[in-house]
Amino acid sequence: MTRKQKRLTVIVSGLAFLAAAAALTFYALGQRTSYFYMPADLEAANLAPGERFRLGGLVATGSIERGQGLNVRFAVTDHEQTVNVRYSGILPDLFREEQGVVTEGAFDENRVFVADSVLAKHDETYMPREVADALKEKGVWQEEE
Amino acid sequence: MIAFWIAAALMTAAACLAVIWPFLRPQPSLEAGHDVEIYRDQLSEIDRDMMRGAISPAEADEAKTEISRRILRAAEDRATGPEHADGKLTRVVASLAILLVPVLGLGGYLYLGSPAMPDQALAVRLEANPSTNTIDELIARAERHLVENPQDGRGWDVLAPIYLRVGRAEDAVIAFRNTISLNGSNAAREAGLGDALFRVAGNVVTAESREAFERALGYDGADPKARFFLALALAQQGDTASAAERWRALSDDLPQDSPWRGTIVQALERVREAPAPQPGSGPTAEEIEASADMTQEDRAAMIEGMVAQLAERMRDNPDDAAGWQRLIRSYSVLGRADDARAALQSGVEGLGAESSAAQELIGFAAGLGIELPESR
Amino acid sequence: MTVEIGHFALVLAFALAVVQATVPMLGARLGNARLMAIAAPTAMAGFALVTLSFGSLVAAYVASDFSVANVWQNSHSLKPMLYKVTGTWGNHEGSMLLWVLILVLFGALVAMFSSNLPATLRANVIAVQGWIGAAFLLFILATSNPFVRLDPAPIEGRDLNPILQDIGLAVHPPLLYLGYVGFSISFSFAVAALIEGRIDAAWARWVRPWVLAAWIFLTGGIAMGSYWAYYELGWGGFWFWDPVENASFMPWLAGTALLHSALVMERRSALKIWTVLLAILTFSLSLLGTFLVRSGVLTSVHAFATDPARGVFILIILGIFIGGALTLFALRASELKAGGFFQPISREGALVLNNLFLSTATATVLIGTLYPLVIEALTGDKISVGAPFFNLTFGLLMVPLLLIVPFGPLLAWKRGDLSAVSQRLFAAFGVGLAVALVSLVFIDRVSVFAALGCGVAAWLVAGSVTDLAFKSGYPKVGAAIALRRLAGLPGASFGTVFAHAGLGVTLLGLVSVTALEVEKFVTMKPGETLDVAGRVLTFDGMTPLRGANFVEDQARFSIAGADGKSLGEIVSSKRVYTARRMPTTEAGIRTFGFSQLYVSIGDPTEDGGIVVRAWWKPNVTLIWLGAVVMMVGGVFSLADRRLRIGAPAARRRQSERPA
Repeated sequence: MTRKQKRLTVIVSGLAFLAAAAALTFYALGQRTSYFYMPADLEAANLAPGERFRLGGLVATGSIERGQGLNVRFAVTDHEQTVNVRYSGILPDLFREEQGVVTEGAFDENRVFVADSVLAKHDETYMPREVADALKEKGVWQEEE
Repeated sequence: MIAFWIAAALMTAAACLAVIWPFLRPQPSLEAGHDVEIYRDQLSEIDRDMMRGAISPAEADEAKTEISRRILRAAEDRATGPEHADGKLTRVVASLAILLVPVLGLGGYLYLGSPAMPDQALAVRLEANPSTNTIDELIARAERHLVENPQDGRGWDVLAPIYLRVGRAEDAVIAFRNTISLNGSNAAREAGLGDALFRVAGNVVTAESREAFERALGYDGADPKARFFLALALAQQGDTASAAERWRALSDDLPQDSPWRGTIVQALERVREAPAPQPGSGPTAEEIEASADMTQEDRAAMIEGMVAQLAERMRDNPDDAAGWQRLIRSYSVLGRADDARAALQSGVEGLGAESSAAQELIGFAAGLGIELPESR
Repeated sequence: MTVEIGHFALVLAFALAVVQATVPMLGARLGNARLMAIAAPTAMAGFALVTLSFGSLVAAYVASDFSVANVWQNSHSLKPMLYKVTGTWGNHEGSMLLWVLILVLFGALVAMFSSNLPATLRANVIAVQGWIGAAFLLFILATSNPFVRLDPAPIEGRDLNPILQDIGLAVHPPLLYLGYVGFSISFSFAVAALIEGRIDAAWARWVRPWVLAAWIFLTGGIAMGSYWAYYELGWGGFWFWDPVENASFMPWLAGTALLHSALVMERRSALKIWTVLLAILTFSLSLLGTFLVRSGVLTSVHAFATDPARGVFILIILGIFIGGALTLFALRASELKAGGFFQPISREGALVLNNLFLSTATATVLIGTLYPLVIEALTGDKISVGAPFFNLTFGLLMVPLLLIVPFGPLLAWKRGDLSAVSQRLFAAFGVGLAVALVSLVFIDRVSVFAALGCGVAAWLVAGSVTDLAFKSGYPKVGAAIALRRLAGLPGASFGTVFAHAGLGVTLLGLVSVTALEVEKFVTMKPGETLDVAGRVLTFDGMTPLRGANFVEDQARFSIAGADGKSLGEIVSSKRVYTARRMPTTEAGIRTFGFSQLYVSIGDPTEDGGIVVRAWWKPNVTLIWLGAVVMMVGGVFSLADRRLRIGAPAARRRQSERPA
């Protein structure tokens, strides 16, 4: 191979590598991301059972029910619609009624959201950003101070 | 203040000095072409590597050739260094720079800062002459003392009633408990604890609070505070007649100039007359808020009075579902479960037993733990 | 008065930074030595002023001066003294001041040690540092002033977020900022080189130690942050691919690439343009990280209280610096002379591959982090890109990189011999294969992934040892001579070995925990036992306790081995911090060898028990120990005398100076 051919080979293989990396990235973006919904958005979204997404809202007052052992049931609401959530695990320290939460999981056959993670932030005035935005749009919640 | 401005002036001067510094020293030399030195350094490094055996002589030779080639190239570049110039422009730029520092510094600070404001370290504030302290500072002082000496019974004894006066009921409960355990119990401390518990519970004489007042009476059968509150407890349970009787008895026992007398008169009026100039709606949040400024006796009486007004009004307007909810909640908060149940029954009857409003009311009451008497 | 002096010093520092940013640059343009010479004293005076300012803020925290709004918001008189001090940077304003303090510190260090740099380069570098300093000082004064006063002063503060009341706050942010901001030096050098339109050997020699120092700090900062999150949050996780974590990880990846490309540039004068670009990008990613953390544009589990106005301000700074530097790069890069050709199979070639993989990995993380923002801006949909995305893309990119790491140091410069190097690495390959087989057969029969991961980790460590052996000439000379030579090897050789071996150690920890972790999740009543991977926990009950500024319920567990022998006790607790009435969970952790037993308690159940989550985390500490080994490598490399000399000794130049 001449020097020029060698250089060309290097450049072409470099570009091929970058193309492969880009393809991988965009494939993964398509497959491994989850959408965020508030309870009132769910009707329009029309999600099948088992389809993963993140559900955000406020913990509905009086909805927290601790069952056997680690099982917890609660409801996430945006003061328009309410979704029942089932979760098995330790709730965050700042999980309280009327506090913002973001949960991740999927619907089961009975349209109960089975969450495998529940996030509340470790700051008492925290409101997850998506939840805050969505609630502000709906006029349910005003920022403090 | 003066000290601050002196310090500020010194700092500004120092900052300006940093800008003038190069002009106070001899003209620095300008050099380019450090590359050559670096390459020479690399050459000696290769020698060292070779001596140590890290690279073979052949590799070293090749590397040296490479570096020599670069030295040649760098030497060519060397000719074009920057020139010296120290003209008018320099002096203008330098003067502007020296001017900019104090102008921007002082101007910016005057816009943003509070030069007249002294430091206020907490320890210093608390050690200042007590007469200049605010009540909050005095409390903080006492608290700090008690954090270090938690066994100081006298400190708790002094602090407890002050907490009560400034409305920190929860802290007052702790303080009264501490003084009781450290100094022993007496009528005033037990009565104070009862009062604190009464406020923590939202102006309800709870069982715990009543027990404290009863202990106080055990030490001093005439303690006016304990007697007043025990009577109020009766009133809150709905037995206004006995309550009024006890208040009257207490009033007779008190000396003419006792401050309790006025309180008792007001309490009696509230309970007996329950005047209703405007339609009662139960105590609103604002009214309860406003009542924070009154004495606790007034406050309790005010709440009782408003609940009574509301009950009266519901008798006239039995189809007001929201009103029934308020009434049931008020009774429930005041711990008058029987009255709440009775109100629920009246409400269901008033709204029509089969109506959806009645069902809603039953559901609402169930949330408060109130159920219809005959639901079983 | 102290507080106001601090405030005044900060404003004055801003004024000085403006002078530092403009005058020396003008001087370099005009070729005026005096104007250029203003750079160093202003940089040092600026550092003194910001230090004074920061010191007075710390003093206000220590004295609980609640007339300072920032102290009132983030401190409490009853807080332990350590947290009063660290609380200074446990909030947005104070941490920004620390950021700038470190920036001006680096600027002053450059000013102090750069007397043997070409005068124009020196002036331009310090001026660019001045630009960054002025921008962030203005940002602090305009949007995040920590010296705002309250009158009348409250009597008690609102306390620091309990999560931050930890020794981690004393270490993590300063280390992280030393790393982030340390990359500003290479940025300033890159911009200065572009302004001058020339780049020389002195440039790379100068940049590499600074990049190395920043890299060491950032490695430590990230590792410390990861361990802090691991023990403090009580989830047992150590990396969440959270935007804030990515914000610190991207400069690290780019910085690692920069470290390697600067090596090529220093030794071979090749990859000049690429190195300059990488230096710009690395600091740009640091700035982007600052923006992401403080603007609240992305949801994160651990971010500062955010304020849109600040976000806009930082975005403007970001636009000016990144945009400006890249524009300058586009205009001037072609003027930089490229040099040093090499064969694809060579040390340079291996370093180029390293750069290719690392920069692609950086891009992947960047895309994953910003993708939600882009999608929301375009379609309004709110999506999240989480661990699955990063594990897939980043993981796949790292596998080939890790496989080729041992080849790099063994290849010769300019023209390498791949087959010879492969032969040398045969033993290391054997070790890796053996470890993979052993772990597959004896430790975990199920997970091929774990076996391969352990094998690659062993390959990295064995490859590093091989490198060291050959550098000391082992097979050619006897073991005794080789050992003597080993002691004489330059620090940089040890640097490479430790850094690459540390990577293997971290990988081993990651693989062990991911594949072999045992998790138990139960409710327990006092007296009940739980077996976690051969260790038996007995729940002894709850004890209420009172701390300085919190109350807690401690759950005590005694640990016994499989043979019933007592192994001590583990305590996990639920705390409530009284000032903010905020609950936290304190995990209980016991270390056995490199592994850890991790217990975290949840809420009490109705029947009198508590929810208990317990993990056996095999070799988990290796994750962070590996980072420490990498840092040790960095220190070795930094301590190498050949690096510290920017140019030959000054006396030779003095003799050349015109009298």
